[in-house]
Parts: sequence; structure tokens; C-alpha cells
Amino acid sequence: MGTAPASRDVTSYGMGLAAPLALFFLFFFVAPLLQLLWLSLHNDTAGLHWGLGQYLHFLTDPFSLSVLGSTLLLGAEVTAVCLVLGFPIAWLYQRVGPKLQTVIILIVLLPLLTSVVVRTFAWIVILGRQGIINATLQSLGVIDTPLKLLYTQFGVVIALAQVQMPLMTLPLITALGRIDPNLDDASCSLGAGSWRTFFKVVLPLSLPGVIAGCTLTYAAAITAFITQSLIGGGQMLFMPMYLYQQASTLQNWPFASAISIIFLLAVLAVVSVFTTLGRLSRGYGGA
Amino acid sequence: MIMNRRSLMTTALALGAMKAFPGLSFAQARPLVFATFTGSWEEAHKAVLVPAFRKANADAAMVLDPMLSVDQIAKVNAAKANPPIDVMLHDPGPALVAIGQDLVEPYPVEKSAYYKDLIAEAQEPMGPAPFFQVVGLTYNPEAIKTPPTSWADLWKPEFKGRVGITNLNSTLGTGWLVEIAKMRGGSEANVDPAFKALEELKPNLAAVAANPGALATLFQQGQIDISPGNFNAIQILKARGVPVEFVAPKEGAIAFKTTIHIVKNSSNRELAFKLIEASLTPEVQTTLMNPPYLIVPTNSKVTMGGEIARVLAKDTAELKQKFVFQDWKKINEQRSAWIERFNREIKI
Repeated sequence: MGTAPASRDVTSYGMGLAAPLALFFLFFFVAPLLQLLWLSLHNDTAGLHWGLGQYLHFLTDPFSLSVLGSTLLLGAEVTAVCLVLGFPIAWLYQRVGPKLQTVIILIVLLPLLTSVVVRTFAWIVILGRQGIINATLQSLGVIDTPLKLLYTQFGVVIALAQVQMPLMTLPLITALGRIDPNLDDASCSLGAGSWRTFFKVVLPLSLPGVIAGCTLTYAAAITAFITQSLIGGGQMLFMPMYLYQQASTLQNWPFASAISIIFLLAVLAVVSVFTTLGRLSRGYGGA
Repeated sequence: MIMNRRSLMTTALALGAMKAFPGLSFAQARPLVFATFTGSWEEAHKAVLVPAFRKANADAAMVLDPMLSVDQIAKVNAAKANPPIDVMLHDPGPALVAIGQDLVEPYPVEKSAYYKDLIAEAQEPMGPAPFFQVVGLTYNPEAIKTPPTSWADLWKPEFKGRVGITNLNSTLGTGWLVEIAKMRGGSEANVDPAFKALEELKPNLAAVAANPGALATLFQQGQIDISPGNFNAIQILKARGVPVEFVAPKEGAIAFKTTIHIVKNSSNRELAFKLIEASLTPEVQTTLMNPPYLIVPTNSKVTMGGEIARVLAKDTAELKQKFVFQDWKKINEQRSAWIERFNREIKI
């Protein structure tokens, strides 16, 4: 055992504690990522000729760009649905008794306790031609022929929204919990109505949670390979499936690598927009 | 020897790592590794092939490591000199890739006791086919009273919005497209007629599944009533009580060879050969032909029976007559272009 330094600044922590995780990331995340980048800079599948051909192919091809666009749009739609549906739940959580709070948190967490595959299959049962929705509407006489819900953009958005909902609700619950309830009363006593209080006080103060929730939901929704392919089917192509097709079926690894790098950059761009908004909102919330 | 906390930790870590990554402990005799497919394949091989192999080879140690063809190829490619797999199983497309990348050894045909008994189409010198996969028409007999007889029936107006297909990611999807091309005057080299036919099929299409497995779910949910389908997958559904039937279309059922290969530089070459031999025996193939497996045999000494005799073929002669084999060398040449075209054109 070595001798410990005589005096030590107790407020600083050695970086050594973070070393195992850092090493882990270095080996299993950074290194493969660099390999991916290296591979994407080759024009042939054997990886012998350097060049930007793969990127040019993707960026000059309207079809590939439309896949990227529809994937980013899908993420936006899912995030919007999650926000609109998740916010009231989080808001309610702060205003009910402890018993109901336990119930709400259980309901919010429940989806996380079952596998994505199971949740997605449940949605196939719900959205199918003879599924719960169509059967109910038909027995009520609202529709004659079953609606097409499965294998549509609508179906994918709804299923993804449910699957990713906890990622939105949990940060919102935390953010709303930090708001001093007295602020509501103060706002009311100063003459603001409930809606005004919500938009001028609650919403701005909860923005950090909104941003965090949106970032998580967005990132999870656009990369959700299982739900996208099971609910969307084989003719709705999103980036993860496009990637899988090129890498797995066609063994075209350089193009698949280029797709992943482009996808990664696109997601990083969106996430950085969220983070910038978050930084701005912190100033706003503190004002 | 001084034991302090640090040396104890190091030892513990090293031991733990060796446990977690068995590959670390250097090349010593390891059991034979057979990379079969996941799902029903794994079940069938675990229950029938492995016991038969061990019985014939003095309880030799072997493990099943189920994974997709593409993963098998990637793993062997990553360690060509000392591959972690000894025996690979492939669909026709990936088999050609593996052979093309020089990952498999020629099968020692002259040593084999069973190779010559295989029907001609299954005799592949780079790795024989112990099983066939068969693709025909599957339909829901509760919704469709007159059984379909031809691929062309999918285009019938009465099936508006009831037809399911899969995209070209799968062997099934690609093979089916080629068959449609042939029906309309095309070939493995020219699938234009098939894409034109797909255009006409659009009003009937209820779903384009992302993989053949998803088709099963769509049948179960009543989303589709008719589709091209894999004989074995349908038998599994039927056994679960889902109303589905399989028919071989009059143009011929598409047969894919599932080939089995000795991996190049395998450290268990002899046992790998023995395992493949076991898979070619009439005994193993007969057991696998019977319920619940219903895998189509390739050894001509196997007498066809049960569901296979009823739906597919009574004997090898009829099998040859009713099955169509496709030229996957030609298909592989253009497959990526077709997948791209399918991505673009098939939107419903």
C-alpha cells in the first residue's frame, strides 16, 4: 500500500473513478465508430479505394434524402404526440395525493417493464383489420369496412408514441416537481387566469424537462427499428431499415456506414437544436 | 507469496474476463460449433441432428450457436485464420457470398457415404444441401373457399386488399419476384416484367411485410388472406390453430437449397464433416420430415410421408417435377439494384 498524500483537496475528485467507464467507451464505442467512419470513406465494398463516393451517392439521391427526411419527420411527429399527451399526466402527478402518485408512476413505468417487441405486437393486435379498434367501430356501426391502420404512418406514430412515452413523462414529472407551487397561487392572486398562469409560469419553468423529454423521445423514436418495421411494414422505409438492408441483405458495408454517419450527424444536429433551446430556456426560466 | 488486495483484485479480474470471454484462453481443443439458424431450425437441430451426431461419434462435444447467415459470414470473416465457427448453414444467396469470399472448404465428396444418394440438385461440391425450403401459396381457407392454383391468382379482383407479400430483403421475397418475372416472360436476368406485374398488384396489396415472419402475424390478425409463404412457417402456424393452408402453385413451388458447409481453417474439420454426414443420413432426414418439423428431405433414399407427401411430393421424381430451382448466381448479380427499385416503386 502506498502512502496517501498528506493534504488533499476534498472538494475535487480524481478522474480515476471515471476511467473504467471511459476505457469501456473508448474500446467499445469510439473505436468502432472510427472504424465505421474509415469504412464509409471507401468507394468499393472491399474497402480498397478511398473516396467520398458513398456520401455523394446518398446526398445526390432524392430517394435516400426522402428516407432521411421522412425519418426525421416521424421523430418530430412522435415527439409532438408524446409531449401533448405526456404533459397533462406529469402535471396531474404533481397535484394528486401520494397514493394516486404511486398509481400514476406505475402506469408510466409499466411500458418500460415489458419488452418493445411485446408492446409492438400488442399494437398489431389493436390496429389490425380485425383488431380492437376496427372491431369496436364496426360493432357500433360507425364504419362498414375496416379502416387501414396497420402499415400506415398514423399507426407507426401512435405505436411509437406509446412505446416511447415514459422517456417524455419522467423528465417532465421531475421538472414540474421542482416548480414551487406557491408561484401558481402568486400568479392567481395577481389576477392571472389558469391558462395565463400555465403559459406564463408553469410552461416556462418546466422547459428544461420539456427539452430533455423531447431529446430522449426524438432520439428513441427515429432509431426504433423494431416498432418501425413491424407496424410500418416493408414498404415504409425509414433510416434504420435502410441501413439494415444495405448492411445485412446487400453486404454493402461502406454505403451502410455512410448512411449511419449521415444519420448520426442529422440526429446530432436535431439534438443540438434541442440543447440550444434548453440553454436559452434556462435563462428564460431564471428571469 | 504475498497476497495483498491489489494482486487479489487482478487475479479476480483476469479470471472474470476469461469467464466472460472464453476466446481469451488461447486456442485449445474447443467443441464443434455449428451455426444453425434461429427459431424452428434450432429446435429441430437440437432435438434430432445433435443427438444423432453425438451417438455416432462417441458423445463428441458440440454446441449450437444459432445466428443469421450474414452474422455467420461476418464472424468468420473477422477471424479467418482461426474461425469461431466450424459448420455454417446458408440460404442460396449467402452461400454464394461465403463461397465467393473463400470462407468455406470443398466438401470431401469422395469420403462421404451419403453424398451420392442426394438428389442431383442437392449435390453441391462446396457444401451439400441437407434440406430444402419450399415456397408456395398460403391462404386462409375460412376466407378463400376455392384453393388458389397459380401465382396469377394473387391478381384476381376478388382478393382486392387481401394479398400480402414481403420485400426483397428475404430470400423468399426475392425468389418470389423472380418466379413472377418468369411467369410473365422474364428470367433471373430480367425482372422488369415482375415489377410491371407488381404495379398491377397494388390494388390487391394489403401489406408488404418487412420479413417473412411478419406474414405469419398478418395471417393471425386477419390482415391478409393470401400470400406467398414458406411451407415450414405455415406448418408452425397450422399447429398453433391458425386457419392457413399451403398449396404448390401449378407453375411449381420455389425450392431453396439450404446448404451446410465446413468453414475454412476450422480446427474441428473431421467432426465438422461427421456432423454434415449425420445431417445427410436417411434416418435424420426422415425424423426431420415427420411432425412437428416437416422439413423437406434431400436424400433420395427417404420415403416421403405425411403432410409433405400430401401437399408437396410423393417421391423424388415428383419432387423434381414440382419444384423450381433458381439461379442464385444470376440473382445475386442484380439483387441490390432490384432492392433499390423495390424501395422506390412499391408504395401503397
